[in-house]
Amino acid sequence: MDVQKIRSDFPMLQGGKLIYFDNACTTLKPKQVIDAQTEYYSTYSACSGRSAHHLSKKTDEETAKARETVAKFIGAKQTEILWTKNTSEAINLVAHSLDFSQRKKVVLTNMEHHSALLPFMHLAEKGTIKTEFALAGKDGTFTDDAFSQSIDKNTALVVVHHTTNSTGNPSPYREIVKIAHENGALVLIDAAQGAPHHKIDFKKEDFDFLAFSGHKMLGPTGIGCLVGKSHLLEKLNPFMLGGGTIETVSLSGMKLHSLPDRFEAGIQNYSGILGMAAAANYLMKIGMENIEKYEQELDAELVAAIRQISGAQIYGNTNAKGRSALVSFSLKNVSAHQVALMADSLSQIALRSGLFCAQPAMEHMGAPKGAVRASLYLYNTKDEIRIFKETMEKIAKLA
Amino acid sequence: MICFIALFVFGVLSIFSAKYRPFARQAFDCTFRRLTLRPCNTTLEEEVKSKTVAALLPKSEKLAHFTNKHWDAITWAFTLIMIASLAYSLLGILNYVYYGNCNGPNSTGFCIYGDLFGNGASNPSQLIAPTSLAGIQKGNSNASVTVVEFGCYTCPYTKAAEPSVQKLLAEYNGSILFVYKHFPLPNHNNSYAAALSAMCAADEGKYWEYRSALFERQGEFRANGNATFYSIASSLSLQNFTSCFQNSTHKAELDAQITQGIYSRIYGTPTFFVNGKPIVAPATYDELANPVKEALANSR
Repeated sequence: MDVQKIRSDFPMLQGGKLIYFDNACTTLKPKQVIDAQTEYYSTYSACSGRSAHHLSKKTDEETAKARETVAKFIGAKQTEILWTKNTSEAINLVAHSLDFSQRKKVVLTNMEHHSALLPFMHLAEKGTIKTEFALAGKDGTFTDDAFSQSIDKNTALVVVHHTTNSTGNPSPYREIVKIAHENGALVLIDAAQGAPHHKIDFKKEDFDFLAFSGHKMLGPTGIGCLVGKSHLLEKLNPFMLGGGTIETVSLSGMKLHSLPDRFEAGIQNYSGILGMAAAANYLMKIGMENIEKYEQELDAELVAAIRQISGAQIYGNTNAKGRSALVSFSLKNVSAHQVALMADSLSQIALRSGLFCAQPAMEHMGAPKGAVRASLYLYNTKDEIRIFKETMEKIAKLA
Repeated sequence: MICFIALFVFGVLSIFSAKYRPFARQAFDCTFRRLTLRPCNTTLEEEVKSKTVAALLPKSEKLAHFTNKHWDAITWAFTLIMIASLAYSLLGILNYVYYGNCNGPNSTGFCIYGDLFGNGASNPSQLIAPTSLAGIQKGNSNASVTVVEFGCYTCPYTKAAEPSVQKLLAEYNGSILFVYKHFPLPNHNNSYAAALSAMCAADEGKYWEYRSALFERQGEFRANGNATFYSIASSLSLQNFTSCFQNSTHKAELDAQITQGIYSRIYGTPTFFVNGKPIVAPATYDELANPVKEALANSR
């Protein structure tokens, strides 16, 4: 993997000293993605699936290709890809469309992002479902029996992360799928942090639903996916209808479109779809296995660097297998926000500070006031980690 | 505590530029919460602290560490200084409204509001030529051109103008009448005593020598006062200096000169009047000499 060649594709990495370590929040965009979006807006900007003119047909063709690309990227069929605004909307789509009349129990974990927690907690507050939480240990990882105790024959759905945004560790999703399916429960995987960094095969993993975003995998903001097994998507009750979602309608009734159209009401984010497909193509061209391997090298380097900083405390088990290059940490007697602000001022290092939209997880791991998060991606380098370490050492001395 | 300062600073800046308004809002919110004994929930204070410490770190690690460690105390100090400064400014405004001068009644100190509002004394066009020639005189008493200087021995600008004065006196000896009027600045240590002492030296015909020594030892007498005056007097062998100075023999005369200065609306020293035309703190010899040349030419 030629990292310098990859870096040359990113306009924001040209000519400056930016060290972008906030990839778990959103990633930088390569020119291939920007070009795909610009091309749509500058050469064939039109509606898809509605008009008969050549621009509309071109939009039809390109968005269909985009769906095919993203389906290939995630190991699913084209009809199993539903465009959403982002991961949050994809999870909400399942929360509000799945039938909970027969089974009301939804199992989540205390390590989930708010986007996975809140839709179901809200339904529980309204009495639509009952939630139960599988609890991680203080290091953010799960014991073997954490899920077998929670998932039972009353469980309708298990909602779990592929990779947490707070420690970079994967959940034991294969065991979870096995336990859930043995109990007749469905599994919704929050792959917002997993899909950009790991090769995921939706079909092979036997996931029921999977949600991820474009902007965390080099794509544009405002576009994401819900991936679902076709027969399960067929059973979902669309909560948002509009232009493009029905075959016929009269004042006496309507006939919904087939998948995936019935879930995509109104004019879609075409440039976002095309940008996301360009990002998926970009990643597939490099190879997700290569990216995963390179990130593991970066992760080892990053963890070692932070461990050498005086007064640094790392949250989560950094020895876990299948990690992303993501570490949450704090420096003794210097607030997380100050660390991030000073890193930006001193060395133009972009870090995230706070609770990472995972307040229960951070509180559980002993960081109720938040932490600093360094999250790396395929364009980051070991040299950047060296500068990061030097900067953190300077800040740590302030304590 | 920085939010108090930020509220004032960003509040003023946001009047002129919209980009500061979010900061002003944050500062207001933070200040309000602090005043109601609640923790500030904006990141403004942390941002200011982080950027300050980060700016100091490459220059001085010790200073950065000190600032980081004692941030609260430092911001408290700045807040108190700001409150004191605001109170002082308000007092100045009140004085300006009531007495026409920020420094209170009968003060001749510099007043910025005069300049800001355009009607104060800090404007040469507002100066009024003195009607009396009382003071230390030198030159031709029948000359057609009179140069009056209002000066103060403790004033660095009066000292800076002294070479020009001496050059003028040498160049136009016999052609002009030079009058020095004492106008000791009230906010300068020992300025009044220096003027009194110089008038005592004049009694014994050693004024110009004494004046020269005063300017030479300006820093010293501002700190030491009388000791320097006696030292100069001794070096000039002034016989009656001690009794003259101790009895404040020329107090009435000096006060009269100060009153004349106030009447002339003197706002800074040195101020010269060349046949009534004012020149405030000339920076070069020509600034002082050219009006003299012009006046002499006009008088022919």
